[in-house]
Amino acid sequence: MYAFQKIRSLLFYLSVFLFFAGLPFILTFALGYKFNTHTLKFVKTGLIFIKTQPAGAKIYLNDKLISEKSPASIQELLPGAYKVSLELAQHYPWKAQVEVEAGKVSRIDKVILFPVRPNLQQLNQEEFSSFRIDIEKKVVYYLDQEKKVLYRSNLEAHNFEDIATLPDKLIQVNGWEVSSDQKKIFIFNPHQISVIFFDTQVDDEYTASTVFLDYPQEKIINVFWHSDSYHLVVLTDKHVQVIESRWGAVPTSLVELNKGGSAAFYDIKEDVLYFSDSQRNPEGNFYNNLYKLELSANLLTRLNLPGLKAKNE
Amino acid sequence: MNKAFFLKRVLEIIPGGLSWGIIVSLILMSFLHPVSSAIIIISFDFYWIIRTVYLTTLLVMAHSRLFRQRNEDWLARCLSLTSNLGFQELYQVVIFPVYNEGLEVLRPSLLALSSSHYPKEKIIVVMAFEERNIQAHDNALILEEEFSGRFGAYLSTFHPDGLPGESRTKGANATWAAKAAREFLDTRGIAYEQVVISCFDADTCVDKEYFGCLGYHFLTSPKRHQASYQPMPVYNNNIWQAPSFARLVEISSSFCQMIESMRLEKFVTFSSHSMSFKTLVQIDYWPTNMISDDSVIYWKGYLYYNGDYRVVPLYVTVSLDVAYSSNIWRTMVVQYKQKRRWAWGVENFPFVVGGFIKNNNISLFNKLRRSFHLLESHVTWAVWAVILVVIGPLPIFFGGTFFSQTAIAYNLPKITGLLFRFTLLTSLTWIFLSWTILPPRPKGISWFKHVLLILEWIFVPFIILVIGSAPAIDAQTRLMFAKYMEFNPTLKGNKVL
Repeated sequence: MYAFQKIRSLLFYLSVFLFFAGLPFILTFALGYKFNTHTLKFVKTGLIFIKTQPAGAKIYLNDKLISEKSPASIQELLPGAYKVSLELAQHYPWKAQVEVEAGKVSRIDKVILFPVRPNLQQLNQEEFSSFRIDIEKKVVYYLDQEKKVLYRSNLEAHNFEDIATLPDKLIQVNGWEVSSDQKKIFIFNPHQISVIFFDTQVDDEYTASTVFLDYPQEKIINVFWHSDSYHLVVLTDKHVQVIESRWGAVPTSLVELNKGGSAAFYDIKEDVLYFSDSQRNPEGNFYNNLYKLELSANLLTRLNLPGLKAKNE
Repeated sequence: MNKAFFLKRVLEIIPGGLSWGIIVSLILMSFLHPVSSAIIIISFDFYWIIRTVYLTTLLVMAHSRLFRQRNEDWLARCLSLTSNLGFQELYQVVIFPVYNEGLEVLRPSLLALSSSHYPKEKIIVVMAFEERNIQAHDNALILEEEFSGRFGAYLSTFHPDGLPGESRTKGANATWAAKAAREFLDTRGIAYEQVVISCFDADTCVDKEYFGCLGYHFLTSPKRHQASYQPMPVYNNNIWQAPSFARLVEISSSFCQMIESMRLEKFVTFSSHSMSFKTLVQIDYWPTNMISDDSVIYWKGYLYYNGDYRVVPLYVTVSLDVAYSSNIWRTMVVQYKQKRRWAWGVENFPFVVGGFIKNNNISLFNKLRRSFHLLESHVTWAVWAVILVVIGPLPIFFGGTFFSQTAIAYNLPKITGLLFRFTLLTSLTWIFLSWTILPPRPKGISWFKHVLLILEWIFVPFIILVIGSAPAIDAQTRLMFAKYMEFNPTLKGNKVL
C-alpha cells in the first residue's frame, strides 16, 4: 500500500506540475501571444483564417507558399498587412491584401474560386431578339423580331420548335410575356397589344387567331398577365386597366394616374400590382408614393368582368 | 435565532451558494466579458483533462490491486497469523437494514453470505426490518427458517417507527439493530473489541473472501479500532439485465469508488462498509436522523479520535443491484433520485465543520484540508458538467461581434476539441476495465450484449447531462433552503420493477 501511495503522490505532483506548466502555454497560444526568441518577449499576434469553395487551394503568404491548404488558419502572425494568394488548378487565382490585428482573427472565409473554363453552354439554335424563361424554369422562349417567329426549347437546349408566327402588321415590340398557361403571348408597343396563340395549342375556349387591342389615346407603359392567363393588366401613362385578351374587349380603368411612365411590379402568384405614382400634398408639391393594387379573382368578380364569369362557369 | 442554528444554516448554504455562484458568474461573464470567460473555460477544460488522466491512472492501479488480490486465500492468511492477534476470538456481525425489499432481494444476499469462505459459527447475522413494513414479520420468519442454522447466530430485529429524535433513515434502523446485537454479545459475554460489524445494503452480495480479507486487515492494521474497512462496491447483481443507461452509470460509480480507494487522505466510507464494534458503540452508532449515515459514521469516528481515524480499502468486491426500472424514462428518474441521495452527502459538510469548530484537538491544517476536500468534491460534482457542456459554448454564441473576431474566440472550440479528443484515450481505458469486472454472461443473454456493452459508451455525453451535475445541484439547493430530504431508498431488485 505504501508503494502505491508513493506512486500516487508522484502522479499527483506531476499532474499539478503539468497543469501549472502547461496552462500558460495553452492560454498564451489561445490569446494569440508568441514568444519572440530574438527579443525574449511575448508579442501579441493575430491570425488569418482561410476557407475556400472548393477547398484544397494552395496558400501563398507574402508570395511564400505555406504547407497548409485551404481551409486553414495561419497563426502567430505579427500585426500588419499581408499579401494572400490562393491558387487551385483549373481555377482563377484569388489575391488580396489582408490586415492582421493583434489578438484578432482576419477571416477570409467566403472565397469562391471560379473555374477557368466555366461550364458554358449555348442554348439557342437560331437568331433571336429577346428571350424569356417560364416561371417553372423548364422552357426557354426565343423571339426573333426579324423573322417574326417565336420558338422554344428546354433548358438543356433540346426539343426546339417554332410555336408562333408574329403578324406582319406588328412592327415595333416594346415588351412581351408568355402566359402562365403557356398557350399564348402578348406583345405590346406604345399603342397596341397583340395576343398571339401558339400553333401547337388548339383550345376551344379561345380563338386561335391573333387578337389586337388598340390604345390610340394612351401610351402603354407595361403589360402583365393576370394569373388566369386571360386578363391583361395594363399600365398606361394615364391609367391602370384590366382588359380581356379577346377581340373587341374594352378596358376597365381601375386607377387614374397623375404621373406618366410609372414603375411597376406584378406579383402573379398573388395577383397584386405594385406601382408608383405622384400625389399632390396639401402644400401643393408632388411626391412619389408606392401603391399596392389587389387584382385577385374576387376583386374581378366584383368588377363583373364577363370573361372571368365565363371562366368561372 | 441562536448562534448554533445560525452557524448550521451558514454551513448548509455554503456548498450550494458556491456552486450557484460559480455557475451564475460564468454565465454572466459569457455575456459581459467573454474573453475572461473563455480563459476560465480553457483553464477548466485543461484542469479537467489532467484530472481525468490522473484519476484514470489511479483507477488502473486500483483495478490491478483488485485483480491481484482476487484469488487470495484470505482465510488461510488469517489462520497463519499469530494467535495473539486474536483471529480465533474474532466475530463478525453483519447487519442488513431492510426498508421494504422483498425476499427476491434478501435471499441472494444471505445465500452469498452463507457461501463465504469463513467460519460461519463466527458470523452473527442481524436482519434489521422496519416495523412499519407489513411484510416484515412474514419475511423474517421465512428467512429465519431458511438461514438461521447456517450461521453462528441469526437475529431478526424490527425497528419501531417514530422514535423520538429519529427520521425514517437507514441509519436509525441499523442503529436499532446494532443495539440488539450489542445485547446479544453481552449475553454471550463476547467483548466488543473482538467483534467487527458490517452494515450492508439489503442487496449486498459479498465476495466469498470478503470476511477473510476483512478479518486479516482488521487484525493486522495498526490502531485497528480507529479505522473503517471499505470493500469495493460493484453493481453487478443484475448488470446483464439492466438497460445501457443504468449500467453505464453504475459502472462509473464503481470506478469512482475504486479511484477513491487510492486517495486515502480523502477516502470516506460509502454504502456497505465494516468497522470495529467497540468503536461503533463508543461513537454512539450511526446517526438516526441523517440520510448519509454511511459517510457520517466515518466522520463521527474522525471527530471522536481527534482526526486519527481512517478508512482502510479492501480490494474485494461486494456486489449490489443496478437500479433500473421498466422503461428508460423511469430508469432515468430512479437513477436521478439515487444520485441525488448520494449527493445529499453534502449534509456532511455542516456536520463535519461544525464538529471541527467544537474540537480543539485536531490540527488546524487537518481541519482546513478535510473541509476543503469535502467542499471541493461536492462543488466540483455540481458544476463540472455544467461548465463543460452548458457554459463552455456560451461565449461563442453570446460573445458578440467583437469577441468573435478575437483569436481566443477562434481558438476556444479548437483547443477544447483537441483536449477532449485526448480524453477519448482515457475512455478506452474505462471501456476495457468495465469489461473485466463483468460477471459471467448468464444463459439466455446473447453474445451481442458484449458488443453492446462497448457501443453504449457513446451515450456518456447524454448521461453526463442527465446525471452529471443535476442531482448534486438539486441536493445542494435543497440544503441551502433547508428543504431537507427524506430517506427515499432506491428501488432495486433482480427483476425489472
